[in-house]
Amino acid sequence: MMTPVQQVVMAVIQITVLISIILLIVPFMTFAERKVIGYIQVRLGATRQAGGIRGFAAGINKLSWAMGRIPVLSFFRGLPVFAADGLKLLLKEDIVPDRADRFVFVIAPVVCMIPAFATFAVICFYPGTLFVFPDQFPIVGGLPFTGFLTDISVGLLYIMAVGSIGVYGIVLGGWASNSKYPLLGGLRSAAQIISYEIPLSLSLLAAVVLSGTLNFRELSIYLAGVPTVTAAGAVVQMPLIAAIPLFFGFFFYLTCGFAETNRVPFDLAEAETELVSGFHTEYTGMKFAWFMLAEYANMMAVSAIAAGFFLGGHYLLPFGLQRFVPDSIPFLAQPSLLFFFGKVFFLLFVFLWVRATLPRYRYDQLMSVGWKWLIPVTLVNLLVAAAIRFTF
Amino acid sequence: MFKNEELEINLGPQHPSTHGVLRVKLRLDGETIVKCTPVIGYLHRGVEKICENKTFFQGQVWTDRMDYVASVSNNLGWAESVEKLFGIQVPRRAHYVRTMMTELNRISSHLLWLGTHALDIGAMTVFLYAFREREEILNCFESFCGARLTTTAFRIGGLREDIPPGFIKQVQSFQDRFLNCIDEYETLLTENRIWKKRTIGIAPIQADECIAFGVTGPVLRAAGVNYDVRKAFPYAAYAEMDFEVPTRTEGDTYARYLVRLEEFRQSHRIIQQCIDGLPEGNVMAKIPKVLKSEVNEIYHPIEAPKGELGYYLVGEKGAQNPYRFHVRGPSFVNLQVLPQMTEGRLLADVIAAIGTLDVVLGEVDR
Repeated sequence: MMTPVQQVVMAVIQITVLISIILLIVPFMTFAERKVIGYIQVRLGATRQAGGIRGFAAGINKLSWAMGRIPVLSFFRGLPVFAADGLKLLLKEDIVPDRADRFVFVIAPVVCMIPAFATFAVICFYPGTLFVFPDQFPIVGGLPFTGFLTDISVGLLYIMAVGSIGVYGIVLGGWASNSKYPLLGGLRSAAQIISYEIPLSLSLLAAVVLSGTLNFRELSIYLAGVPTVTAAGAVVQMPLIAAIPLFFGFFFYLTCGFAETNRVPFDLAEAETELVSGFHTEYTGMKFAWFMLAEYANMMAVSAIAAGFFLGGHYLLPFGLQRFVPDSIPFLAQPSLLFFFGKVFFLLFVFLWVRATLPRYRYDQLMSVGWKWLIPVTLVNLLVAAAIRFTF
Repeated sequence: MFKNEELEINLGPQHPSTHGVLRVKLRLDGETIVKCTPVIGYLHRGVEKICENKTFFQGQVWTDRMDYVASVSNNLGWAESVEKLFGIQVPRRAHYVRTMMTELNRISSHLLWLGTHALDIGAMTVFLYAFREREEILNCFESFCGARLTTTAFRIGGLREDIPPGFIKQVQSFQDRFLNCIDEYETLLTENRIWKKRTIGIAPIQADECIAFGVTGPVLRAAGVNYDVRKAFPYAAYAEMDFEVPTRTEGDTYARYLVRLEEFRQSHRIIQQCIDGLPEGNVMAKIPKVLKSEVNEIYHPIEAPKGELGYYLVGEKGAQNPYRFHVRGPSFVNLQVLPQMTEGRLLADVIAAIGTLDVVLGEVDR
């Protein structure tokens, strides 16, 4: 049993590690975005960035271009630009417009960012102990370092509750700027996020109905199709047919996730060509960066939830197909951080991929897609899930 | 306590999607446009007046700066107008080269339209793909006359010099690639559900309205009127070319998109015919060193990428410069239907409408 001091210290350590990981991945996403979209769009800058003109590296680069291939070296070239980007945001003059509502204007990016990070508190990256601190360590010696921060029984409810706070930041930011384009952007975003919260929740509910729990860790293990032992001692395993609502639910969830994070094709709130820059038009410097951080952190949260619920989480195969992996290959049959992050990164890539491919919906079309199409189909999906739960 | 108020916003002149310095005053009820007023003139340089004070040879340079995306077409219009005013006969080879260059320019202008229009609607990748091909055309221009954008490609009476060696090969390599590129744009857009939703039935304009406003070019043809100056009043070598004029009847943004994409293919056909049938001979007619006009007036229309581009020139006895010069710019005329297209519709449709009209503000304001 941990003493209160040990509990606090462990929590601080885990939170620090988690936040560092997020803060490492999230800014890195902007770099990845530049690179991925650069390659998809055959951009000349992003694909050749900072390639040396002399030396060994340049030789390899030139050789691969001559062979008609994209040089491997240029995949990580341009990292200084990414660092400069961050530095620029830090050093930029922090302007608050004259007629803006000062307090709300300052608080809005924070309101946007905190829930985005708080979501990660219940996401389970690995369903068990990653390592145990050696006994030599003061205070924490012999304590396990788990792959999740908390393991509360209402994890999903927490995610949805916290996630829906973020929209306040956008609305308040748009309103407090006291400018017309941000106002329109903020209002659009409010309507959009509130509408898409419903099908988003409904698609997640299908997963909850199937598994009968709200705990993230139990959910992801059950939905991966791995047999588990309940507290009562019975062995439960998801029926194979439940893969159907899970499969469709994944696409519904991902669609809503795009809308929730304001990404193409649902990026109306910041539709560059209509509203200049949407709700953050008047923001500069770090305040703007917080909005950006929130957006990318939300993308990561959506990807993590989609990976955990629908894609089999820390197991290899998605949609409850993990049962077909033979136990004789322990690496594939056992849960692994590798699988989880692999899925998360793939979904993050999908975000960028879609951005490079699709045009943007119009405001009223977005609403009609949400209300007339997504809500009915997610309801049907929920019914199917309930029927499967009831029958099997 | 509760009252409705219309919101007036200012789209431009510094806005990412007004294609230059167009300013549109919008009255919005929620997101619905109540009133739309285009405000133009930010790029006014007085090209018409300036040309009246320049000699006929000098005036050509100013036509580049009107529709700077289609400067070759503007050059052709000026050169042919002056030739018409003086009754100069241009050699057949020069006609063929002019036709080829103008069609290349039509493709590059349409590519710019396609890219920016798609970017306005949110499809980012098409923009960069379109610019990749445009780059090749600009390279062709560069090897032809040294300039990429403001080309001043032709001279009154023909061409300054014959086409450089290797030029035909360069154009041919572009020709060989380009049809596949059109298919590439089509895979991204034509059957894309979101693209169709954003363009079908958006910013419609019917044939009778088009004629009443004097709208020409792809906008008119997408409304079902088969009018193309290249066919109606053939100039340059178009009488000898075999091509079709694509038309649609819907008159909406999607129809205009399809018409322009088909024009890519037709231009491609014309360029191929120019390459295959390029005649030998001189490229420059014998013209005096100083052109002095008689009392005379002409109106010469050509089919610029945006529509009918007409030059009206009045000559004065013994003068080296036109007495009066007037341009009938297609962008300027086409822009006038913007309020008709957008009022009662949504904010996002204004952006689509500006994109689909394909205006270049350099020509609107002149």
